[in-house]
Amino acid sequence: MTDIDEAMLIAWVDGELDEVTRRRVDRAVAEDPALAERLELHRRLRERLSGHYAPIEAEPVPVGMRALLEENAKVVRLARPAALRWRHWGTGGAIAASLLMGLGIGHLSGGPAGPVAIEKGAMVARGELASALDAQLASAQEDAPVRIGLSFRRKGGGWCRSFEGQAVSGVACRQGEGWQVQQLVPGGGQGTAYRQASSGDARIMATVDALIDGAPLDAAQEKAAKDRGWR
Amino acid sequence: MSFESDLLAILPRLRRFAASLSRDRADADDLCQAALEKALRARDQWQPGTRLDSWMYRIMRNLWIDEGRSRQRAARTFAPEEAGEHVGHAGDRDVEAHVMLSDVDRAMHALPDEQREAIALVLVEGLSYKDAAEVLGVPMGTLTSRLVRGRGALIELLGEAA
Repeated sequence: MTDIDEAMLIAWVDGELDEVTRRRVDRAVAEDPALAERLELHRRLRERLSGHYAPIEAEPVPVGMRALLEENAKVVRLARPAALRWRHWGTGGAIAASLLMGLGIGHLSGGPAGPVAIEKGAMVARGELASALDAQLASAQEDAPVRIGLSFRRKGGGWCRSFEGQAVSGVACRQGEGWQVQQLVPGGGQGTAYRQASSGDARIMATVDALIDGAPLDAAQEKAAKDRGWR
Repeated sequence: MSFESDLLAILPRLRRFAASLSRDRADADDLCQAALEKALRARDQWQPGTRLDSWMYRIMRNLWIDEGRSRQRAARTFAPEEAGEHVGHAGDRDVEAHVMLSDVDRAMHALPDEQREAIALVLVEGLSYKDAAEVLGVPMGTLTSRLVRGRGALIELLGEAA
């Protein structure tokens, strides 16, 4: 009869034994086929369990979780793998469209200080929003009424920037001498229900993912693009 | 590196841990999402220099305990009706492969919570006994006895082929 118990066998498998105890188990296992079989059973169980769940770690992380973290960070983002580039363009577009209808664009364009106007059937930025898109750098915008998120090159050419303001947040792309708004969602100042959506808005990230060519601009690239007038 | 990018880096492991605790993948991602949101709200409570993964495992495990007790009890029956469904397809290799995979899930869910979380942390996540005991807030001896009992049950449920 041996003094090797089940706890010692599994500690052997888990790599938790000190050298002396480990050798003791090794010797006992060498002399006792039943013990060897039990050890092998535990070794295979660990292998099977870790193997069963291992593929999950290799999966790309869900876009929503990634967006939650990236939007929350509000720092220069790292380039994401091409495989993750946006797959739900249709969904994003549909959500954006339905949001626009819900917001009532007439009101947005009606007031003299509104951030968006309708020109020739398209939404364009104006006022503070247009100024921010023209001139504001993401690295220098303390207390600015509109905050710039990401700046990036669009597929097919041209520049786009995401923004976040009191009333509305969204994405706009350079069009001629102005900025055509691609997406609007409620901004950060609309009460608690919207606050969270704004600070980690997966919808805006989805639009960025759909439009972006490569990685977002870093601070130096952003400044260079601004200095060239976003041409 | 920022707090968020550190979280992003360990997110694949957090999802795996969530999957080993939860009944299915949808529940697992709900749990993971809730844990991220909680972590972002509670980031001031994390002490830089300590292990972020352990902190996240603890958050996730506590959420799972809070929300999942009743679900866990419901799932504890070892799905006899599902096992019955597959009998008729015994000759089908694909179905056999499927049953092989889901056997692990079902065996895990047949375990009591405290055994399953111990098994998940040590065998799936590869934590040391010391780290796992810390995450769970139990003495090492308690952890190891849960590991012994949980493994015994798994070997029984999964058969000699484990």
